[in-house]
Amino acid sequence: MDTRVCLVTGGASGLGAAVTAQLRTEGWDVVVADLDDAGPGSVRCDVRVDSDVAAAVAAATERGPLRGLVLSAAVETRSPIVECSDDDWRRVIDTNLKGPFLCMKHAVPAMVAAGGGSIVAMGSTLGAIVAPQYPAYCASKYALTNLCKQVAIEHARDAVRANVLSLGPTDTGLFVRLTDMAPDPEAVRAGVAANLPMARLGRASEVCAAVSFLLDDGSAWTSGAVLPLDGGLAARRM
Amino acid sequence: MTEPVLEGRVALITGAASGQGRAAARLFAEHGASIVVVDIDDAGAADTVELVEKTGGRAASMHADVSDRDAAGAMVAFATGTFGGLDVLYNNAAVQMSGTLAECTEDDWDRTIATNLDAVFWACRAAIPAMLDGDGGSIVNTASVLGLIGSEGYVAYGAAKAGLVALTRQIAVEYGPTIRANVIAPGSIDTPRFRKVADEMDDGGAFISGLTRVIPLRRLGTAEDVAGIALFLASDQSAYVSGAIIPADGGLAALR
Repeated sequence: MDTRVCLVTGGASGLGAAVTAQLRTEGWDVVVADLDDAGPGSVRCDVRVDSDVAAAVAAATERGPLRGLVLSAAVETRSPIVECSDDDWRRVIDTNLKGPFLCMKHAVPAMVAAGGGSIVAMGSTLGAIVAPQYPAYCASKYALTNLCKQVAIEHARDAVRANVLSLGPTDTGLFVRLTDMAPDPEAVRAGVAANLPMARLGRASEVCAAVSFLLDDGSAWTSGAVLPLDGGLAARRM
Repeated sequence: MTEPVLEGRVALITGAASGQGRAAARLFAEHGASIVVVDIDDAGAADTVELVEKTGGRAASMHADVSDRDAAGAMVAFATGTFGGLDVLYNNAAVQMSGTLAECTEDDWDRTIATNLDAVFWACRAAIPAMLDGDGGSIVNTASVLGLIGSEGYVAYGAAKAGLVALTRQIAVEYGPTIRANVIAPGSIDTPRFRKVADEMDDGGAFISGLTRVIPLRRLGTAEDVAGIALFLASDQSAYVSGAIIPADGGLAALR
């Protein structure tokens, strides 16, 4: 099989790490771009910093044609709107929204040069619905969805696709990180799961399968889409 | 006869020196509101105040660049200091930076996000406590059809407007009992800014006629069209409406 390179932001931990491991078993040469060191095949990268992103994309293209980009780096902050500090707002908007903008800005020309590529952004059900206490996070994820749709349309004729996974509460990554702050994390997670149509959390393996689908040519006719991975939660929403 | 549906209310309108903001200032004032005109264009803001006063309304202007973080607190303080409270916040100011992913520079991105998303967050964060101090209030945020659908040539603008939609619904839920928050999503509105964009095109006339042909209502919108929706959302006529997105686009979003 020809070399195909995928850049995964936030690939040092959580869902990004799970996706990285999965893609490597499928023959992808994965370059991880993360603030944290993820060992060989990783580049230290603050997605908010243009020069960091440029360097990460350059490191990826050095290895072969860049055909995949997984936007998994994200942060959150929890507070009501009136208490959300300038610093928290800036950090969330810049990491979750400007980061993907910079990554796509640098990666898309490389994908065009490679004859096409696929971008998968980790969105959130919170991008489509409201979650009190997460104003910056919700705004960033909903905006990210719009950004991906724009890129999908602008580059449709370059065979560059962009899709969003709208993730519900999953057993790995952000949801676990958030619920770990509760006095009884397991009870909180069980409570959230019980309220989902499928009455369970999502699994990292299910996210990985969806990422693989969207990166591969089997989904070549799909771009600008928002795919819910949320145990049926989206069906309840307008 | 005009029902004074905003009698005794104080309405702060950003970007009110022209276009949709000015039309709303005039309409709100005709319906009894005291208007705080906020803009970077001092001469235009003064003209808006004069237009409002000529018809017997009350208005005061304040120079502020909403993309300046400190402007939010200052304009809310100006409103409460001048008119004794704040009941309506209409975040209308925006920059319409167009550009594809390839064209949009980091500076373009930062400026668009600052004016069209950060500024609204800052303004709401500053205004909500003032509204909670009073009898509550209504927040009206101007997004865009481009924040609801994918487009091309508006990466930063579309993303900022989408973020604004999410933020508005967040406010609607979080401050529900006392504050309502809604979105107007204008399509193609015939304002000086729109004309300027068309004039800069090679064939702006053909662009406008082509656009008009696909709009179900077969015309561009007017600033007054949008102001009418803003008035509805600002007043108690929409007392049971919150977290809504109302397109002002002649039916274009339905077509797409």
